Amino acid sequence: MSLTNPPSAASGPASVSARPQTLKRSVQAAFEDPNDRGAKGGYQSKVKVMDKYRVVGFISSGTYGRVYKAHGRQGQPGDFAIKKFKPDKEGEQIQYTGISQSAIREMALCSELRHDNVIRLIEIILEDKCIFMVFEYAEHDLLQIIHHHTQQPRHNIPPTTVKSIMFQLLNGCQYLHTNWVLHRDLKPANIMVTSSGQVKIGDLGLARLFNKPLHSLFSGDKVVVTIWYRAPELLLGSRHYTPAIDLWAVGCIFAELLSLRPIFKGEEAKMDKKTVPFQRNQMQKIVEIMGLPNKERWPLLTSMPEYSNLSTLTPPILHPGHHHHPHHPHHPHHHKSSSAAASTSYLERWYSSTINGHTSTSSPASNGSLTSLGTEGYRLLAGLLEYDPEKRLTAAQALHHPFFGGAGSASGMGMGNASSAERISGNCFEGLKTAYPTRRVSQDDNDIRTSSLPGTKRSGLPDDSLRPVKRVKDA
Amino acid sequence: MAANFWESTQRRHWQFSKDELAQMRENLEESEQSLVQMFPLPQRRHLNIYFNQQLGRLGKRLGVRQQALATAQTYLKRFYCTVEIRRTNPYLVIATALYLACKMEECPQHIRLVVSEARTLWPDSLTLDISRLGECEFYMISEMHSQLIIHQPYRTLTSLQSDLFLSQDEANLALSIINDHYMTDLPLLYPPHIIALTAILLALVLRPNSPGGTATNMAAATAALMQAQAQAPGRTSSSNSSQNSVGVSDKERQQEARLNKVQRYAGFLTESNVDIEGMVDCTQELISFYECHEQYNDKITREQINRFVKARGLDKP
Ligand SMILES: Nc1ncnc2c1ncn2[C@@H]1O[C@H](COP(=O)(O)OP(=O)(O)O)[C@@H](O)[C@H]1O
Ligand SMILES: [Mg+2]
Repeated sequence: MSLTNPPSAASGPASVSARPQTLKRSVQAAFEDPNDRGAKGGYQSKVKVMDKYRVVGFISSGTYGRVYKAHGRQGQPGDFAIKKFKPDKEGEQIQYTGISQSAIREMALCSELRHDNVIRLIEIILEDKCIFMVFEYAEHDLLQIIHHHTQQPRHNIPPTTVKSIMFQLLNGCQYLHTNWVLHRDLKPANIMVTSSGQVKIGDLGLARLFNKPLHSLFSGDKVVVTIWYRAPELLLGSRHYTPAIDLWAVGCIFAELLSLRPIFKGEEAKMDKKTVPFQRNQMQKIVEIMGLPNKERWPLLTSMPEYSNLSTLTPPILHPGHHHHPHHPHHPHHHKSSSAAASTSYLERWYSSTINGHTSTSSPASNGSLTSLGTEGYRLLAGLLEYDPEKRLTAAQALHHPFFGGAGSASGMGMGNASSAERISGNCFEGLKTAYPTRRVSQDDNDIRTSSLPGTKRSGLPDDSLRPVKRVKDA
Repeated sequence: MAANFWESTQRRHWQFSKDELAQMRENLEESEQSLVQMFPLPQRRHLNIYFNQQLGRLGKRLGVRQQALATAQTYLKRFYCTVEIRRTNPYLVIATALYLACKMEECPQHIRLVVSEARTLWPDSLTLDISRLGECEFYMISEMHSQLIIHQPYRTLTSLQSDLFLSQDEANLALSIINDHYMTDLPLLYPPHIIALTAILLALVLRPNSPGGTATNMAAATAALMQAQAQAPGRTSSSNSSQNSVGVSDKERQQEARLNKVQRYAGFLTESNVDIEGMVDCTQELISFYECHEQYNDKITREQINRFVKARGLDKP
């Protein structure tokens, strides 16, 4: 029956070495009942990817495998993105080795979730030892949109677009959180935007349910979320994941939409042997803009495992004349109150120089300057980039923030609300005169079946610690 | 969705009426007539008892917690809704369900370990390696359309335990009734909270040594449900048996306290506006399962399963 699995089509030269074995099995297969699927002999998918979809190009290659753009062959409307998880290889031959826990989570969660601001899964096809997740296609993502604005002449993202993106992003986030899903990897590359301006949270590869009762989220995981978007409590060694972690990332994304560069662009300290290093550089970047955290504003700070490392960081230096703040202690225990007062104003300074800044070269005639976001924009940012996870805004609170004119809930979106000062569009491109460039789709490799890279599953993943060690190197 | 049962795939795709379920099974057997005739099998509940035992044995060797066992049992049930048992090696399917459930319930087991424990456990009925288990995992996920998140009754029980002032004994009994319901069709028929509420009811009324046995227990459970059903929402319980409590024996007093508790529970059900008819049906299913459990013959069940496994060469890859 393995005859029906095109033997190792996916592995070039490997198929040669695989042949004798396959031949033998095919002879044997002739004697077997072809209906004894799966539990005996060979599993065969009832649906074939290639019967149903035509791949038109290659989009991206990630840690787990590849993403392709496809059209339906059976009259399905719209475009699709097919995420293919690579199979594992044992030597040269592709083998079933058990699906990684993160892939299982992504498959299970995507199958449940249904919300306008979360990427829609169409189906999952398990075929030829590979997993194909078929999603609705999104023409853009935030990384690409931000990048477009950095191109000469550098120009800010229009404030209405920023507002709409933030509102939709928070709306998707609220949906995830009320359904006990933590995303854990929010960053511009994982936030999709459709051609009609709908924002869709994508890549649930690290997402987890946080309502498993007998089992807090302590276990196994050590590293979560791309370092630039990682919340301070994680950097300080907390192993307890809460929705607040996603909201820190949302705050970072907000800042990035304004300044067009990652707000805390640290360098990741590599894991050496078994010890998880303190991410000093990343924490330092945060401190430079936020000031040092202290226990007045974050009461549980002193009980964080990496608390002692804080004293080795350099507090931000303000340019003379810019601020009345005189001198900066090198130890967080001294001058507590002064740094407490300072930490807000550092971010405030960052905000006001960003929205009034020289990077914003848009003429009044174009889609408007960021200054219109005003102090409410700052308050929202500060609420999201709040050191203390317990005080940080929740998604629901953020949606009700005056920044959005008190629109509040999904029902306010896209609808003129007489009482609120303005309306938040469910199309983040509304009113824009120019369109963003479409996603780059390459033709190099669009054979979804044969393309093969060296084993590139999501690896070194915290909670995939049960995987054989050798794979950690693969990434 | 994940936390919202009403929008979950479990509710939308994996909850059937009794007729639907019977129809699915009939269709399956019809399409496999000759196999079905050649290899008779015990009744489904007895098969379930056997599968449950085997799953439990494997789970024990691996130190798997109950939640994951329950999820594995649900996977088995779903899988066998669409696949004829005689076309599979049930030991392979059991091992796969457990391996997958452990990942889903956040207590992953290394595939190598699952394979080696399964081999030790079923040396004569299953030739197993990693690739075979991995393949069956594909098969299972595909049959379930990747709908792997299972809502279980345990959460309802835990959250109601204190609200309803359940004693530890009562809570434990309810827990074991929930564990047992995985050997019936109930997980495919009713939402988890109905199961949990029924288990609590039975825990309150079931008395193993009560004279009259099952019939009495059933009567007590039904009476409580009838009471709940009869009460219009908001109306307070009319009958009250606590008036003449002078001069009664300890035993009687206990009995009476229990009755009060049952009545209070009936009141709670009325107010919560739950599907009482569903609970009546669940109660009947459970009671009849316990009766049918007494006729279970392990040896015959095992032999009948092993017979088709061997005869059809399903033990080998
Ligand atoms: N639905 C989609 N439509 C269009 N492009 C997508 C879609 N999903 C993912 N992509 C593209 O593929 C990239 C990788 O996908 P993602 O799901 O984030 O996987 P990874 O785990 O590798 O980050 C994304 O950053 C995006 O550019
Ligand atoms: Mg990604």
